[in-house]
Amino acid sequence: MIWPKFKDWIDERYDIAELKRLAKSKLIPQHRYDFLYYTGGITLFLFILQFITGMLLAFYYIPHIDFAYESIIDIVTKINIGWFFRSLHHWGAQLCIVFVFIHLFGTLLTKSYRRPRELLWVTGFVLLVISIFFGLSGYLMLWDERAFAAVRVATGGAGALPFVGSFIKIFLRGGTDVTGDTLTRFYAFHVAILPLVSMLLIGLHLLFVQYHGMSIPVSLEGKDHKEEPFFPNVFYKDMMIWLVVLGIVMTLAILLPPEIGKKANALAAPPEGIKPEWYFLFLLETLKLFPGSIFGFNGETIAIVCVSMGIFFFFLIPFLDRKSNRGERSPIFTVIGVIYLLYFITMTLVGFLS
Amino acid sequence: MKIKLFLQIIISLLSFLRRQESRIFYLSFLFLLTFNSLAFAEEKIPVFPTGPVEVYTIYTSLAVFWLAIIGLIVVIKMKLNEIERIQKLGIDKEDINAPLLD
Repeated sequence: MIWPKFKDWIDERYDIAELKRLAKSKLIPQHRYDFLYYTGGITLFLFILQFITGMLLAFYYIPHIDFAYESIIDIVTKINIGWFFRSLHHWGAQLCIVFVFIHLFGTLLTKSYRRPRELLWVTGFVLLVISIFFGLSGYLMLWDERAFAAVRVATGGAGALPFVGSFIKIFLRGGTDVTGDTLTRFYAFHVAILPLVSMLLIGLHLLFVQYHGMSIPVSLEGKDHKEEPFFPNVFYKDMMIWLVVLGIVMTLAILLPPEIGKKANALAAPPEGIKPEWYFLFLLETLKLFPGSIFGFNGETIAIVCVSMGIFFFFLIPFLDRKSNRGERSPIFTVIGVIYLLYFITMTLVGFLS
Repeated sequence: MKIKLFLQIIISLLSFLRRQESRIFYLSFLFLLTFNSLAFAEEKIPVFPTGPVEVYTIYTSLAVFWLAIIGLIVVIKMKLNEIERIQKLGIDKEDINAPLLD
């Protein structure tokens, strides 16, 4: 009896029927690449999962150099199913970045970035950068020797950038080296700044998707293709996929809980065979390709500049691909996209296996 | 010459190991081995419950969870099929000219 009254109360104040009509009027194209539409939804779902599990972990985590490591051990060993939520947060992050990359390369190869959706690409690209920084900042929270060394290398690498590198390094570290200040700073980024910025960007990204509608590949433009309403058809399909993803994350969290290494020690030598997170491996392997000195210049600086230029070119693709913007096929940018994808996969695999 | 020396060393070593006094050597070697393995064994932090009951409960819960997911997917799929059937028949759209019942 309460529900109909509540429904009437809401209906009197808000035009819910209009919202329903709007949701039903939104049509999603059906074609052979339409599975890529779901990658965005999966990423959103994993972001939500990260927010929930992150909030639960924040209840017990202590962002202090003397207690951070111990508080995580407490979460894992003393708090009721704390180990599970930590593991869920870890695997949620891994899969989230996997799906962000799939979504990105899917967008790139189907040229969904083309006019008028350039800002969708821009917001999505910034969200990818934020996701990676989320990963890096969250990694340091553990304050074990592996995380410590990885953050030292990553922030040191940023420091190799000419002109602004030193500023970025000191800004990220909160000093000249990775210390307790870095932990405090990364914690602020991880739980306050990045979630706020990512929520704004996700909102903006979704708003642009609603405004422009779903993009279809250039090859199918102008041809007859089927469409289905977002609500309820695609919504239900999304639900089914989200359930499967939830199951996968839970299974990974139970079967492969992330290990905790020794507590970080700034004076100790970094452990042997240390590797960064998988999404940094391609960068590390690229840096290894460069010699220590090139024509008298620092090889690392040149490598960082080259990588930055490569990433910047990647970011500018929607603005450079004129043919796609005119609705024509642009095989050059397809090849460029495939090269980027193959390079990323190959270097990640090389880094993983070496 | 070198081979002869090498063989002599081997023979003397083996004869030492067979002697009664060599027991001390064996014992001290075992003691050192055990002590070292204990002293340098890295303490692994348990990131997963170790109790057999807990482990059993967790794996059972995971299996039940997957069954629930499959069940929900089946229900949603059935619902979706029904929606698509209605959409195919074209009876999901509101008829503006339909007479209102007073």
